[in-house]
Amino acid sequence: MPSAETTFLEAIRQALQRLLRERSDVVMFGQDIGAFGGAFKVTAGLQKEFGADRVFDTPISESAILGAALGMATMGLRPVVEMQFSDFAMTAVHQLLNNAGTLHYRTGVAAPLVVRAPCGGGFAGGPFHSEELEAFFCHMPGLKVVYPAFPADARALLLAATLDPNPVVFLENKYLYRHVKEWLPAEWGPTTLGTARVCRPGSDAVVLTYGAMVHEALRAAELVHAEDGGEVMVLDLRSLKPLDTDSILAAVAATNRVLIVHEGWHTGGFGAEIAALVAERAFHLLDAPIWRLTAPDCPVPFAQELEKAYRPNAAKIRDALLELLEH
Amino acid sequence: MYSVGCFPLVNRGLPRGGALAYSPRDGMNPQTDITKDAALALLRVMLLARRIEERLIRLYHQGRIFGGVYCGFGQEAIGTATTAVASADDLFAPCIRDMTVHLGRGTPPRDIFRQFLGRANGPTRGRDGNIHYGELHRGVFAFISHLGAMLPVVTGGVMARRRLGRPAVGFAYIGDGGTSTGDFHEAVNFAAVFEVPVIFVVENNQFAYSTPNAHQFRCKDLVDRAVGYGIQGVKADGNDVLELRATVAALVEEIREKPRAVLLVCETMRMRGHGEHDDASYVPRELLAAWEQRCPIRVLREKLVAATLASEAELDALDTAVQAEINEAFQQALGDPAPSPSTLMEGVYAVG
Repeated sequence: MPSAETTFLEAIRQALQRLLRERSDVVMFGQDIGAFGGAFKVTAGLQKEFGADRVFDTPISESAILGAALGMATMGLRPVVEMQFSDFAMTAVHQLLNNAGTLHYRTGVAAPLVVRAPCGGGFAGGPFHSEELEAFFCHMPGLKVVYPAFPADARALLLAATLDPNPVVFLENKYLYRHVKEWLPAEWGPTTLGTARVCRPGSDAVVLTYGAMVHEALRAAELVHAEDGGEVMVLDLRSLKPLDTDSILAAVAATNRVLIVHEGWHTGGFGAEIAALVAERAFHLLDAPIWRLTAPDCPVPFAQELEKAYRPNAAKIRDALLELLEH
Repeated sequence: MYSVGCFPLVNRGLPRGGALAYSPRDGMNPQTDITKDAALALLRVMLLARRIEERLIRLYHQGRIFGGVYCGFGQEAIGTATTAVASADDLFAPCIRDMTVHLGRGTPPRDIFRQFLGRANGPTRGRDGNIHYGELHRGVFAFISHLGAMLPVVTGGVMARRRLGRPAVGFAYIGDGGTSTGDFHEAVNFAAVFEVPVIFVVENNQFAYSTPNAHQFRCKDLVDRAVGYGIQGVKADGNDVLELRATVAALVEEIREKPRAVLLVCETMRMRGHGEHDDASYVPRELLAAWEQRCPIRVLREKLVAATLASEAELDALDTAVQAEINEAFQQALGDPAPSPSTLMEGVYAVG
């Protein structure tokens, strides 16, 4: 049994490797993912191991990549394609929104495909390499949206996403790739999409979050505990569509105070959807207004000073929690 | 205005210029290079489309079809010729005016009426309307409105079929206006790079909604674009189903064996508005009058009669039979059920 911890990036690579090894219907393609191994090296070594007909490079054509994946998916393959950055998926958004997302509803034909999309900021990527677009993806009918925060979840959920009969957008927060590692259990789980996980128990407030912000929230919860003894629950949503509403409502019932955190934009952000859910279904359980801590409504800035001001982090979450607990 | 019924199915006596006689010995006519049965099958597909669309137009103006009606008058030969030479494994992404692709692949007229009427048992079960349908078990992808968006889909479909051991060829249809989209460029380049056997069939019907060729592209001829993609470009008369069939048959045979993408530009004319809401007053009348002489149904009828493959009376009888078939299909579809509102959320996701 391996004793070393595995990075988020390596966990995803292991899932891709297992898929290619065990499923002859899986193919992977995208920009620079072959011999080069991808912009982040997630697919390093896969073309060498499985051949250029299973893992291959394409022209810089996001729409052709997504459209071809859709065509393949209807013919019995399970394509797993990479958008080099999730930002670039928006140049082909019609393929997701209008073609892939509507196909089964219109024609009854299933399209099992996965779009891997590296996302998020915190590393001076600027306006076009840092975007958080999960709200866009979640807004589209017929798509599923997965957003893991831990290596073990990423590994298992990528497997589950590929075996799902629907188009799935699999968001990989770039900050997590090399910053987060853990020991991976022999058993792969969860095996289905749509289950949240309590990462830290607590009874005074809950942080509802996902992606890189789960780790910031965990640090903030420790800070709060050290400073005033408050016990803050952190719920990692893991999958945004389908959304584990039962776990969200149970967390609200257990804590009565809600802070929603994400690094995407405020207006129309996914946090607004969660807030609406809590207000509609659990208003009577709340001891304080629902709070949201998100990125502000401005493009993702480049300079470190600006991006630090832009992006939520443990210190900002701590401040918000202390205020929320006093409410 | 070009209107319903303005394509009279009579031979106006175009010169026959040394027509060769039909040779019953081998069943092939040397002038048309086609058997009588095969020729009548082509005519039948074109007549079905024409008569269905005439009925759809009437239904639209009677307010019995909601949404819109978009017709392929004048372009029937293109889907007819291409499907006629295809195999069961082949894949199609028809565009706006390609009812003959559906009919050529075997979609029954009743299902087409169900689609336009939004019936629960139509190809999209009332989830989508008019030209946005396709039956994948016949190798036909359902068209979405975003022009060019289906081109990479059929390309990927052909790549997958070939990987799974089925020697498919793809047919991706697009209009002159659609060649201006980014998706057209992405898909043709993608298919060219991966040597995917897809024929990109450009139906140059001279107008994209109201915009003429002159405001759509600057190159002398759309077929010139093939050079830029490093693929073969072929120019064809889109209104002569026999010629087009022979051209496409040769191309398909070649690329099925030695896979590569091809750009096939068919010159044709949109004989009605973009949709039935559009009177096409921006189209010069004399242009329509000239193209009316080139009606693909008329062209085929004249060739068959000139080659003595069939008599006028025979062809008229075929048309009459088609009209009867259409009437029956339409009446059946009228009686088919509308979707129940309780099914609204059914099928958003696949289960399994």
